[in-house]
Amino acid sequence: MSRNSIKILQGALVCEESKLRGDITIGTGTIIHPSATILAEAGPIIIGDCCLIEEQVKIIHRLPFDQQDKENTPVLIIGSHNVFEVDCHVEAPKIGNYNVFESKSFVGNKVTVTNGCIIGAGCKVTQEQILKENVIIYGHDCHMREGLDRPGLQTLQMETLSKMLPNYHHIRKPNKKN
Amino acid sequence: MAHVVGPEVVKYACTCGLLKSISSLYFCRYCCQLRCGFCVCHEVDSHFCGKCCENLPSSEARLKKNRCGNCYICPSCQQELSTRIGSKGPSNPEDPKSTPKKMYYLSCLYCRWSSRDVGIPDQSAATGGWPDRENVNANRLQEIIEMYKAMVLAEKQQKEKDKKKQRGKYLSYTDRTGVTAAALRKRIGLPVDIQHSLLKAKPKEPEPAIAKEDVEDLPEELLTKPVNLTEVTTIEQRLLQIDLQPTTVEKLFPVHKQLSIKRSLRCRSCEHNVSKPEYNPNSVKFKIQLFAYYHVPEIRIVTVEPLRAGRPSELIIKFTNPTQHQTTITILSLVLSGDENEVKEETGDQPSLPQEKQPPSLSSQPSSLLSLSSRQPSITIKPRPVSQEVNADVAIPSSKVILPPRDDAAEYDDSGDTHNIQDDPKLVVWRKSNKAFVKLLVTPKQGLALNTEIVAGFTMQHIYTNTIATTVENREPDKHDHNIRVFLTLGNLVGFD
Amino acid sequence: MPIYEALSDKLTVVLDVGSAYTKFGFSGEYAPRCIIRSEVRCKKTNTIRRIIDYENQKDLYDLLVDFVHVLYFKYALFSPKDKPIVVVESLLCPTLFRETLAKVLFEHYEISMLLMLPSHLVGLSTLGAETALVLDVGYFEAVAIPVCHGLPVIHAWQALPLGSQIIHNNLRALLNSDNTGINNLPESVIEDIKVRCCFVTKQKRAAQLSVAKPEITFAPEVKYPIGGSEIITVSGKVREKVYEILYDEDNDHLCLSTMLLDAITKVDIHLRNKLAENILLIGGTVMVPGFKARLKEELHKQLKHDRYKKLKISSFKFHTPPCKENYTAWLGGAIYGATELLSMKALTREKYFKENRLPDWPNMRDNFRTNN
Repeated sequence: MSRNSIKILQGALVCEESKLRGDITIGTGTIIHPSATILAEAGPIIIGDCCLIEEQVKIIHRLPFDQQDKENTPVLIIGSHNVFEVDCHVEAPKIGNYNVFESKSFVGNKVTVTNGCIIGAGCKVTQEQILKENVIIYGHDCHMREGLDRPGLQTLQMETLSKMLPNYHHIRKPNKKN
Repeated sequence: MAHVVGPEVVKYACTCGLLKSISSLYFCRYCCQLRCGFCVCHEVDSHFCGKCCENLPSSEARLKKNRCGNCYICPSCQQELSTRIGSKGPSNPEDPKSTPKKMYYLSCLYCRWSSRDVGIPDQSAATGGWPDRENVNANRLQEIIEMYKAMVLAEKQQKEKDKKKQRGKYLSYTDRTGVTAAALRKRIGLPVDIQHSLLKAKPKEPEPAIAKEDVEDLPEELLTKPVNLTEVTTIEQRLLQIDLQPTTVEKLFPVHKQLSIKRSLRCRSCEHNVSKPEYNPNSVKFKIQLFAYYHVPEIRIVTVEPLRAGRPSELIIKFTNPTQHQTTITILSLVLSGDENEVKEETGDQPSLPQEKQPPSLSSQPSSLLSLSSRQPSITIKPRPVSQEVNADVAIPSSKVILPPRDDAAEYDDSGDTHNIQDDPKLVVWRKSNKAFVKLLVTPKQGLALNTEIVAGFTMQHIYTNTIATTVENREPDKHDHNIRVFLTLGNLVGFD
Repeated sequence: MPIYEALSDKLTVVLDVGSAYTKFGFSGEYAPRCIIRSEVRCKKTNTIRRIIDYENQKDLYDLLVDFVHVLYFKYALFSPKDKPIVVVESLLCPTLFRETLAKVLFEHYEISMLLMLPSHLVGLSTLGAETALVLDVGYFEAVAIPVCHGLPVIHAWQALPLGSQIIHNNLRALLNSDNTGINNLPESVIEDIKVRCCFVTKQKRAAQLSVAKPEITFAPEVKYPIGGSEIITVSGKVREKVYEILYDEDNDHLCLSTMLLDAITKVDIHLRNKLAENILLIGGTVMVPGFKARLKEELHKQLKHDRYKKLKISSFKFHTPPCKENYTAWLGGAIYGATELLSMKALTREKYFKENRLPDWPNMRDNFRTNN
């Protein structure tokens, strides 16, 4: 296991009780709640700006068994303005911008998530595929439909959190200037 | 309550012959019989919308086609839609001071469908105002309905005219297949009922539909264009809008929410209610609740020894008296075929023809039941035999068990019981307030295969104290012996003797 | 209260219990209130059971009691007691089924009147016409009955087990060659694939489907996701081929198109041309894209065969009912139910209990008037 190297950019809010392992870069304005887990096993993880990562979230960078070649270490790039709701489990190898992973959803490591997608609460998506932009997956049968627009931003929630969280939790110091 | 008494290992035989757990049974105080959802008459009490909890009178509900006027469900996933505010920001970007006008749209929080997806313009009012679509064929269909109405009415009037011609006692084949006199006249070349003023007044009869030779061709794009599954509706989505049945998602429109009802249940033999909810949709309480749970001793299995074929096992069951009156429980052997006199009475004369009874209550309280005078008395359905088979014998004890009345305060009294009931120590192993543990011996029948589910049964006789004063003079509460057949699922056979 | 009671008398339930879907609504309305699957949740096993899967009469009685309960207390929202009902049924409906349904309605729900209407005849009323060849393609079977001057010509009836059930089985078999685990899929998923991906192809293309080296390019394939964990491939060939089972002649040289022509052959010579020019297609299966066009092509193809040359039919014309085909029969029932026919011809509760039987057309007791 490689040593932890956590780079937190200025303006990010990362609680100390979160579990971060491996080479992780966290962008400006991103909020990581306590007890969120981010494991960079297969390679570095770069999280973009203004992502919201809630409690019990698991973001794991793990390659499928058939792709585990040692040649080049893949980087998991998570775009900006993504929302990871409570207890979602995401292993996607690539995540774009403005996606929402609702509570208790599961995204397998063969699913590429583009932009504006919503993985509904409790949906389990594992089959190898590239989710088109603005796709919404919902219901226990994982129905799929295309949205008109990307989901709305959680600006208000993020603002409140950035005020409230430091009052009750220890925050990791940003260690990188952007 | 189902989770309290579940899994259903103790089942009571309802008067109609079905086996149910005590939580799904009712007890009619007037007949002193168990009733269940199958053998009572269900009636609609009140209509309400499950989302906005608005109560609607039945006439209004009918007018609105049993749908709420304000609430909508999502045409995509059938969840309820919520109204959201979408302020019209970008419409006037030059003037930052102008207050953005509040506009409302419908949005589904589950599948994120919104009324903007299908191009429905935002509304300025929060409730209603959403466009409703008419059936495109409404005019044509109305004409056809009028035509058939007039046709049948004419026939009826003609029939009344020549009363001499006796109608057959039975419906004839031609009747069933609907050949009307008008049709017959037409067939033999007569003009359609010219003598009728009603038809004369309506000279315009809709043209019969014209069949066409050219038909809808297969859309060519189906053969060449790849199908985008997210744009094709599922059959559930189509059937939600029956008159349109859209095949593509851009034609999905919000659907008014179906109303819900509150039901009251009526005993079919005495026409009294066994359950009647409160009118207010927000209330979960009842005006009348004759649940068996409040009137009949509850039985629970405490322990059972491993069951072996042909060998007696000790079974301890708990009796609880839910009533305010002392009761005595006698355990009798099980009679599977028509045990009670009443059952025999009902099935006695003509088994296939249910007789109609005059409800006794109608004569006694005529004023309060006047509104029900149009009601026909119910048909009594013949009880069916109990389908459950019993494969273990219960040793019937000779003594009885006395259960004191329920006392809610005693539950918190730790000072110990002060009862002085002389119990048969062989039968009653423990008791506290209104509860008693009773020991029984069950013997699974010989020759059963391993892992057979063992079901034992007995008849519980308890004394039921009826508190409704039947006559003015009779102040003393009535006491009845009431027999209930009880079936216990004890588990699987583990071995042989 | 009395004014509401008077209002409620006018609301007559019209019910069409199909093998797959049940149409339910009120007389005089233009569309059913609901079209739901004919199935109920079994309380004992907590599984969904279809009504048609009944084991015996007692089982069917219990299933129908539960099903009618749902219809009344979830959709109609009034008590069935002392209310009339109109039931639309196929003339080929099993006696056990219709008698059990009547028993449930009269004994358990204590309805006041029951009017049973034959679906082929009443479906025609939506057109305002009196003569047509009606083909009902449902779940189990396709039934063609000519209706002449408002009278079904029953001796000319034709029925074949060609309905959505056989299509579903066929689709399952076809998908099996390209994918694994198809056999475990519930029928509702198969139905959804059928509805969203499949269509009736053209006659020329159909001929190419069975050729080893077809000259056409098939329709594009569809990737159909099942849940989030599986994707099955519905190839273009499968999409076009599924419905071919309706048009392929079986060992007796029978298929949908021959059914219609055989029915026409059996009626009076003067009516044949009129029937051919008045064809009404009802039932959910006929709604699939391309169905009508293909049927017309097939009919013309069959006409060239020797057995149908004598018919001397030059053209086939199809009616377009003012509604969707899957509830045309129901709509007919709703039109009839709005008339006085209910009070004239319906079977009352008193009569039912007195006779303890249901009038039925094959029974000679009910046909005595046609004999004299």
